[in-house]
Amino acid sequence: MTTPSRAAARQILETADDSLLDLVDNLLNRGVVISGEVLLGLAGVDLVYLRLTALLCAADRVRPRGEP
Amino acid sequence: MSVYLYALLSGHPASACGQGICAEPLRLVASGGLVALVGDVSAMPEVTALTLRAQDAVLRRLAAEVDAVLPARFGTLLADDAALADALVQRRVQLVQALGRVAGCEQMTVRVWGDGPIPSPPRDAEPAAGPGPGTRYLTDRRRAHEAAHRVPELEPLRQRLGDLVRAERVERHDRPPLLATVQHLVARGTGAHYLDVVDACRTGLRPCRVSVTGPWLPYAFSEDAA
Repeated sequence: MTTPSRAAARQILETADDSLLDLVDNLLNRGVVISGEVLLGLAGVDLVYLRLTALLCAADRVRPRGEP
Repeated sequence: MSVYLYALLSGHPASACGQGICAEPLRLVASGGLVALVGDVSAMPEVTALTLRAQDAVLRRLAAEVDAVLPARFGTLLADDAALADALVQRRVQLVQALGRVAGCEQMTVRVWGDGPIPSPPRDAEPAAGPGPGTRYLTDRRRAHEAAHRVPELEPLRQRLGDLVRAERVERHDRPPLLATVQHLVARGTGAHYLDVVDACRTGLRPCRVSVTGPWLPYAFSEDAA
């Protein structure tokens, strides 16, 4: 069972556009969980989410639709 | 080989399921009135931008052919079909309810931005109701929970959206500039109208700003299904 590495998380988030960041949030933090045992294999997800939150909070990422 | 779960569907898609994110043939597993979309994989797929996009694309393609889709969290791997069936049986009632809730719907994601949260209105002058410390404790807990799931900054938008929104999930961050993430469940095909309403409402939301993405599959309305 493979877990996402720090490098993989960094690669995803540092090259991400806004839609990919939402995709990360939706796929890794939401969705049906039918077996808690399975998620133990994705321990690196917390790291991804923390980084995601940090990026979303960065002021330079605030680009509301319809505004320059 | 293990069974990788993509989603639960409300029925069988009309066309072939196609391939999954590891290029494996997808198949359906019916159990207790539920239909699971799965693939057989030799290892947990890696989390990459490519695999995330691929999984979303698989689900979007099949979502167009069924009334309801409950996406599974990325990385849901089970030993075999029997383990999947066992997990589904244990949560059948909640899963069927969740499928009904998202039928014919898609998700819009609103992020609320600002320099800081709008101060909460002062509490009632009266102390938390109840004769004892236990009741006061529980009342305070309830108030804290309600505050964590309330976005008063968005109230003007909520009023404009009206019946367009069928359900809502709120996550307050209070880490300026990101104040909150709000997920709205809307009828399929109404995303463009939803965006128009948001655009028309931006001035009324100041000093807060909002950004919107979507439509998405109803990810945020699947997580509490089980």
